[in-house]
Amino acid sequence: MRRANVLSGAALAVFGLLMLIFVIPAQIDQGPPGMMSPRLVPSLMMGLTTVLAVLLCATNLRSVEDDDGPISRAELLALGKFGVLFAVAYAGYALIGPLAAGVVILLGGLLMLGERRPLYLVLLPVVVLGGTYLLFYRLLGTPIL
Amino acid sequence: MSILKRRHVLARLASFAMAGSLMATPALADDHYPDRPITMLVGYNAGGQTDLVGRAAAKVMSEELGQPINVVNRPGAGGAVAARELQQAKPDGYTIMFHANTVVNTAPFLMKRVQFTPDDFEWAGFITAYQAGLVTQKESPFDDLDGFVAWAKENPGFSYGSLSPAARMTMNEIAKKEGLDVNIVPLNGGGEMINAVLGNQVVLALSGGIHSKYPDQMKMVAALTTFRHPSDPDVKTIDEFGYELAMDTRAGLYLPKGTPEDIVQTLSDALAKAQTDPTFKQVTGSASIPIMYLDADKAKQEMVSTFGKHGQIFRNAGVEPQ
Amino acid sequence: MTQLIGGFLDVLNLSTLVWIAVGVTVGYVLGVLPGLGKATGVAVSIPLTFYLGPVAAIAMLIGIAKGSTAGSAVSAILLNTPGEPSSAPTALDGYPLARQGKAQKALKMGLFASVIGDFLSTLILICLAAPLAQYALLIGPVELCAILVFSLTFIGGLSGKSLTKGLIAGALGIFFATVGLETETFIPRMTFDLLELDDGIPLVPMAIGMLAVAEMAIQAGNMRALDMEMAQIADSGNPDDRRVTRDEWRRCAVPILRGTLIGSVIGILPGLGASVASFLSYGATRKASDDPDSFGTGRIEGVAAAESADNAVVPSSLVPLFALGIPGSVIAAILIAAFVLHGLTPGPLMFEQNPRMVAAVYAAMLCASLLMLVIGYFGQSLFAQVIKVPMRLIIPPVLFLCCIGAYMESGSVFAIWIMLFFTVFGFFAKKLDFSFVTFLIGYVIGPSIELTFRQSLQILDHKWTNLLVHPIALVFIVLTAVTLVLLARAQTTGKNARTKPRPTGAEPQPSTQGRNR
Repeated sequence: MRRANVLSGAALAVFGLLMLIFVIPAQIDQGPPGMMSPRLVPSLMMGLTTVLAVLLCATNLRSVEDDDGPISRAELLALGKFGVLFAVAYAGYALIGPLAAGVVILLGGLLMLGERRPLYLVLLPVVVLGGTYLLFYRLLGTPIL
Repeated sequence: MSILKRRHVLARLASFAMAGSLMATPALADDHYPDRPITMLVGYNAGGQTDLVGRAAAKVMSEELGQPINVVNRPGAGGAVAARELQQAKPDGYTIMFHANTVVNTAPFLMKRVQFTPDDFEWAGFITAYQAGLVTQKESPFDDLDGFVAWAKENPGFSYGSLSPAARMTMNEIAKKEGLDVNIVPLNGGGEMINAVLGNQVVLALSGGIHSKYPDQMKMVAALTTFRHPSDPDVKTIDEFGYELAMDTRAGLYLPKGTPEDIVQTLSDALAKAQTDPTFKQVTGSASIPIMYLDADKAKQEMVSTFGKHGQIFRNAGVEPQ
Repeated sequence: MTQLIGGFLDVLNLSTLVWIAVGVTVGYVLGVLPGLGKATGVAVSIPLTFYLGPVAAIAMLIGIAKGSTAGSAVSAILLNTPGEPSSAPTALDGYPLARQGKAQKALKMGLFASVIGDFLSTLILICLAAPLAQYALLIGPVELCAILVFSLTFIGGLSGKSLTKGLIAGALGIFFATVGLETETFIPRMTFDLLELDDGIPLVPMAIGMLAVAEMAIQAGNMRALDMEMAQIADSGNPDDRRVTRDEWRRCAVPILRGTLIGSVIGILPGLGASVASFLSYGATRKASDDPDSFGTGRIEGVAAAESADNAVVPSSLVPLFALGIPGSVIAAILIAAFVLHGLTPGPLMFEQNPRMVAAVYAAMLCASLLMLVIGYFGQSLFAQVIKVPMRLIIPPVLFLCCIGAYMESGSVFAIWIMLFFTVFGFFAKKLDFSFVTFLIGYVIGPSIELTFRQSLQILDHKWTNLLVHPIALVFIVLTAVTLVLLARAQTTGKNARTKPRPTGAEPQPSTQGRNR
């Protein structure tokens, strides 16, 4: 956790400074006089984040206690897989339609997570998509797409 | 119904699939319009006042046209998100939008990123108007705007509830002319406005029309429209008080630019039927929303004239788009 | 009272009861499904109620609201994916319980707490709507600002192990909440010229990404360990682990009643909401407990406290609507539309013009509470089986439902991008132990504090001495100061206590990392 704390503290401090110096001045106008500046609260929060992040960095640099990193390789891999899955699903949505995106998420998700039994690969997407259709279009009468 | 629904789904899938390739093709006039369901965008959340009127109008028009009209809420930026989506839709009459006309005749003067003009859309008519006004508690010591100004001169530092930069501008103009000392309290939405007035947090507030539901607790001191409100005909308009700040807001049908004229006319005629429809009257009546139908031609004129007029009012007041 | 009996006569017929049951069931199912919640549920059901009579329509919508609030506990407990932010504290202790093989117990306690909170809060609505609402009007921006600051300090105690990280999370929450048009000046803040961001980052897709999708990614990474663990403990042999024992009832009675009270009060006040109520109730129960550090490892009181408050908000948020015609919550705002559609104008006049109708709605709400108990009880034994299903079959449908839930909020793909952004954010926040609880609270309360502060400045005419005419605000300012002192003292004594070894007999921590968060 120590290394992770130092790294996340450093990252947050950089993020806070970037926001304070570049993004907030560029993205938020100063506002008319006589009112609380619209920049006040975002700047305060980023200032607070930066200070605390530096503090987090500093206390952990000095501490000697150490153990395994908090994020396992498998978890990062899963997050990456999710990214790929949603990217393919979006391509399906843009090129073919929402139904394709649904199939990609369900079928692709199953394949990605290691399901190989054909019965489940067919049944689950059919049941979920069919159930969604029944719930929204039939029971509630609201077309959601 | 089930076949229609299924066809609707298929049609949507097909239109999603082909949207890219067909976007650029100019629409051809269609003798059989409408022969499939129509999508009606509403730029506010489901359940709001405009959404409700839009849904009621959709019901009447759907019966008239013989095709279902599916109401789809696309909230965001006071309707600008929905309007932008409408601009990108095919001008074939199958994507329409029901919304307040403020997106075109007010928002561009307040928001830098919204730059619509009346020429960006076709207008198939307006059906209702918003009864905006300056409201106060029933027991307030003044009854009209002149009385309020006299009271305010005696009570500097009073609070005024503002829902938007337009509401702020209205009070600032009055204060400038009369030399009033006002604290403008920002409010977030109509519900909060009612709260602030009933809870005596503010002395005066600008209401978009919701106040007519509280006749026993609130009264209007001036109408902010060019006409006197049908539900409150005794209250003078702000122009009658000599301030020239009246701005009308109406709700009606926007169509994408380039929609064929006969389709505009068909939709305009279908919308006209709402004037006499009992369900529509019940929906608007229970919320005191006046039905003021303008057909396609009048709607276009209304847009052009209010666009110019409102722009002038905001420029005179020195309001810059943010 | 006679009116209420008349109301029951109007409601106790087959067709109305069936519609209430349909509403509760649909709501319960929507709530159980991760990603879908009460606001979407009620909004999508409005068109359906066009075809119903007024009592049936309104009863059905209220049934959906109540059912989904109770149902959202199920996915929070079983999958650690609260469908709505207000159920996030339920997951804190409910999910560890489920991993210990006590899913049925946690689910039942969640349901009972929900029904009790809901029923009592409905009674409060019936008896006190008119007088309470008058008092609620006394709570203006100045008072609200003081109450919000008090809530924030109080809930701040929930921030988890590291105070520094908790504060960072809270600051980030407030920061993200400032995106969009600022209410006073209408100046856009960090919208990057995207019109979609004008109304701010929408809460629902953000919460779905952080709470549900990120959790699914973590569980996908630990899939094998989770499934193996489950195979060993899914069937707890001890019948006491499947029901709520008398001893637990005794321990939970106070948290439930406290949760109900907190939920009812928060519901009546304008501008707060279910998330504040459930977090506040959870925090209060933890503070009042003899062993606050054991919360988060599977304390049944945590589930009871969060759920009772979460559900108590629904009826009491209708108090301002019924008595004054002011919507106290999103649900209430949507209900206004339904009322108006059926020729009823919510507000004091409603009681004079349509007393019978109001009584019928009350009766329907009480019926909905009881139906919720029945439907939830039988539904749960079904849903509890989910825990035996291997993760690889659960994750894809959950991802699919999350997409639908996010999409429906604004009807645009943009919401899905928001969801994915906060998935990554939530993933790292969870793994690095930046409390997402304080992040969400900062997100929900932060902007209200800013707005009420701006409003207060104007109302007080920029003079602090004017605070003296706002005694309620003064009380809360004093309370905040007291809480701060107590928190500081607890922090020092808490550190000493933590160095002592844990009492034996405490539940073993689940072996996989990061899941009791």
